[in-house]
Amino acid sequence: MTIKADAMTVKADAVTIKGEAVTVNDTNIKLTEPLIKRLTHGQAWWSALSRQGPRSGGLVACLLVLCLCLLTALWSLMTGPMELQSNDLWRALGNVLTGQPVAGSADWVIRELRLPRVVLAMVVGAGLAVAGCVTQGVFRNPLADPGLIGVSSGAALAAVAVIVLSATWLEGWKGLTGPWALPLAAFCGGLVVTLVIYRLGTRDGQTQVALLLLAGIAINVLAGAATGILTYVADDQQLRDMTFWSMGSLANGRSTEITAATCLIAIPLLVSISRARVLNAMLMGEQVARHLGYSIQRDKRLLLACAALMVGAGVAISGMIGFIGLVVPHLLRLLIGPDHRLLLPLSALSGAWLLLIADTLARTLMPPADLPVGLVMAVIGGPVFLILLIQQSRRWL
Amino acid sequence: MTLHANDLHVSVGDKALLTDVSLTINPGDRVAVLGANGAGKSTLLSCLTGESRLDQGAVWLNQRLINGLDPQASSKADNDPRARARCMAVMPQNVTLAFPLRVHEVVAMGRSPHQDEAMTRHWQRDAMRLMDVWHLRDREYPRLSGGEQQRTQLARVLVQIWEGRETSGEGHYLLLDECFSAADPAHQHTIMDSVGEFATAGVGVVAVMHDMALAAAWADRVVLLKNGEVVASGPVELLTMTQVLQNVYDLPYLIAHHYAKNNRHWLSRNSLAAQERARQVVSV
Repeated sequence: MTIKADAMTVKADAVTIKGEAVTVNDTNIKLTEPLIKRLTHGQAWWSALSRQGPRSGGLVACLLVLCLCLLTALWSLMTGPMELQSNDLWRALGNVLTGQPVAGSADWVIRELRLPRVVLAMVVGAGLAVAGCVTQGVFRNPLADPGLIGVSSGAALAAVAVIVLSATWLEGWKGLTGPWALPLAAFCGGLVVTLVIYRLGTRDGQTQVALLLLAGIAINVLAGAATGILTYVADDQQLRDMTFWSMGSLANGRSTEITAATCLIAIPLLVSISRARVLNAMLMGEQVARHLGYSIQRDKRLLLACAALMVGAGVAISGMIGFIGLVVPHLLRLLIGPDHRLLLPLSALSGAWLLLIADTLARTLMPPADLPVGLVMAVIGGPVFLILLIQQSRRWL
Repeated sequence: MTLHANDLHVSVGDKALLTDVSLTINPGDRVAVLGANGAGKSTLLSCLTGESRLDQGAVWLNQRLINGLDPQASSKADNDPRARARCMAVMPQNVTLAFPLRVHEVVAMGRSPHQDEAMTRHWQRDAMRLMDVWHLRDREYPRLSGGEQQRTQLARVLVQIWEGRETSGEGHYLLLDECFSAADPAHQHTIMDSVGEFATAGVGVVAVMHDMALAAAWADRVVLLKNGEVVASGPVELLTMTQVLQNVYDLPYLIAHHYAKNNRHWLSRNSLAAQERARQVVSV
């Protein structure tokens, strides 16, 4: 008996699968790959396993946020102190794609001022959101945001040290690494803090939340003090360079730095997404993840290094921008559940979208003044965070 | 095809947790590990899974060294965690979830070592039905009661080695660490019966237990630990001997006697079940 996969409508109960052999209504048929897909992938199995269906159409959600991102990017390119026509925008974008030299002021504004900023906002936003998602997953706690546990301030301290001391103590560093000097230094700072925090907060694979957050506060204070000392020894030019660290701004990126940051964020971001299964298994604790066949120590180190790299690169180019890593994964978890295979890509897209909106608001709310985007994020993120806390306390108590 | 532990020694500081423990689990074995609190039951289990570092001794899983040093070849333990997870499923005492997964998502995680979550949904459904959590499949795991959480975890663990039930079962092992402590009596017995089905199919099962009655009603063999040493190891009838229980648990004679009598009663249920199994095999 041969069965065409397309013409097959068999009730699930009439099918039994035993190893390689399938029985349909007592007739043995050979199990082929398309047939397995047919038998197991169909909607019938989903409705059998979950009455509510999959948490949400994962791909649909990703595409939706991607479209929102692109639309917001176009809106961001159009708005600003200088009025532009829409055909200016299309011409400028066409020129970018074909690589023609800059022609006219509208073209220049878009290509030299707004486009780098839009790209930077999206890259940094995606990196911070995914880094938050990863640290929350590894530490098994929704409060383990890179900003709260001190990773960002460690990265900022290292970056400030490079700015202030590059003429004296760290002379060789800048010569060694060129345009990558700041991001790499920030990465090292973030990594050191991550390792210290991890050592302090984790015993036998269980993270002690209180210890983790207290250690984070202590490290924030220490890094703040060290940054303060560096501020004292800095000269005027260095002070000007440094001011934006405290508030966070996307206005200072130049194209070489943006390229460096994009590489340093994109690679760990993709690596993190490829380790989504490990993060899922780690939701049940490291012991269980080990029993499920993952080399937990290796994967955990890799994931934390990825998070430190993303935070470091983000901090190096745009200063301290808080709350994205905390709020974006948290909100998404409430919407689509904690499955990292969906959560990580969606965090990247949503983080990019959120920071893009915040940055566009920052530079258009009070033209020609350019508000620090860190302040805008704090104004958006603070209340959202408080609402989340109130909701959670209602939920758990 | 066995799970074989030879001459295990584990100590922390100068305190010996396990001394000279050897154990072989064959296909289809139902082994219950019993002993007082702190006797080394969980330590033994974590040695078998390759988690605890051994001071001495070795553990072989289907002829592959997974923990300790090979005394002959002095080779290092073969470390392919995914291959190990495909034939050995472990259920720890209790599992808390950091973020609220739903029950069917937790169960699907059991297929994570095989990476065929989408292809084995019928197994996941059967495991949930077996553990009586099918009606809870859309609930969030952290909101379940303790017993329901344990049943969900057990469904996850069963799904991990479901091949063992479908095929000959040889070379698959199930390690359970007090997984029934929070289940009600009715579920305890149906759970043990379901786990027993896996053993009948050829899966080797090791269960750390506190409930002697349950062990007497279910196991073929018992390993009795005291202060990290095997006091007695053999057929389940050991649980009906007053002196053995006195020794293992440091019980007064009268109480040990009562337990032994009680265990004899439960053992009769076990032998009934064994007869029934034998009859099934004959009729097949």
